[in-house]
Amino acid sequence: METDALITNQSEELDAIINKYPGEKRYIMAIMHDISRHFNYLPRQALEATAQYTGVPFSQVYSMATFYKAFSLVPRGRVHFKVCDGTTCHIKGSQIIIDEICSRLNIKPGETTADLQFSLETVNCIGACAIAPALLANGKVHPHLNAAGIRQVIAEYGGPEYGKKE
Amino acid sequence: MKILIDGIEIEAQPGETILEATRRTGIHIPTLCYHEAFGGQGSCRFCMVEVTKNGSSRVVASCTYPVNDGIEVKTSTPQIDKIRRNIAMLLYKRAPNSLFMQTLYKEYLCTENNLVEDPYEKCILCRLCVNACAAMGASAISTVMRGTDKRVATPYDDASAACIGCAACAEVCPTGCIEVQEDNNIRRIWNRDFTMVACEECGKNFATREQLAYIADRSKQEADADELRLCTNCRRKVLARKLETFNG
Repeated sequence: METDALITNQSEELDAIINKYPGEKRYIMAIMHDISRHFNYLPRQALEATAQYTGVPFSQVYSMATFYKAFSLVPRGRVHFKVCDGTTCHIKGSQIIIDEICSRLNIKPGETTADLQFSLETVNCIGACAIAPALLANGKVHPHLNAAGIRQVIAEYGGPEYGKKE
Repeated sequence: MKILIDGIEIEAQPGETILEATRRTGIHIPTLCYHEAFGGQGSCRFCMVEVTKNGSSRVVASCTYPVNDGIEVKTSTPQIDKIRRNIAMLLYKRAPNSLFMQTLYKEYLCTENNLVEDPYEKCILCRLCVNACAAMGASAISTVMRGTDKRVATPYDDASAACIGCAACAEVCPTGCIEVQEDNNIRRIWNRDFTMVACEECGKNFATREQLAYIADRSKQEADADELRLCTNCRRKVLARKLETFNG
């Protein structure tokens, strides 16, 4: 996925986010969290602006951005699937869910569909072992999934396979 | 304060690390991520030693452990040797393409095992290159990702605008994994091309144009300063000539 330059009004939004904080190294994480929340990912231009604003080398800001799993350097989808692949979900068949999403949406974990509708991420444990295997769709828990169940979830959020593409 | 290193009593200064104190005695503690210019990082754990105080002993990284009064240090015990052999083995398995690690692997008599190797990898992630780049003031490279994906790179693996092509990173790298190509007065490093500047005396390339511009900017020197025109060898010769005729 290309990390294109932000368009004008996005640049202004970016400035507004960054300017809320003092230009010091210790605010980088907070700034990146806000950027991530606003744009659904960390655009390159935003990281460069953060580096310049805080006076920290770009390489270090990039290092931090790639270190934390909570940040994504590619745009996430409007619907972000977090499939639990922790021990319990793994045993209960989370791989089936992951495979089904991958083949239905034609993306791999960490990727986003071309229309930016869906993105997929595997996580280690969402603390929902009793209802395994489970996934989070934009924070909403979907319990006891199987291949048919995940097809339904995709349909619910308007997946391309089901002709409900926005 | 007095400390005992392998049975030899030496005088150590507060604030010193065990490694620094030991180096003065001539006793060798092997290191990988340590460099005099940057101090201890405590990341490779190759310099582990056994420290005994008041009858209890523990294993510490000598490059970061500050000396304190009355400690007794052993730089080589069966336990320490085993730790070093393990580190040599693991780092070799990580970077089997590096001659440096191949040598260390043999030197420490590591035994074969079936850990997966990446046959092309040379980097042991000692971070000396990152430190060198930061010390030069460019900070063009850093470690990216984490865990098994961790590596040293420029942001987005692109040609970095911050890089000055000084190749300090390659110079300091123990395993020779940073590629510097030079031909036709062009140096290629970290996916970026730099034009080399020749020494005005001997004609050998000695720095990149960006590096000299950076030095000029930081040091506020005139463009005709020796540092910006001559290589280190020729600068020394010029200085020696000046001193010949110098009489108080």
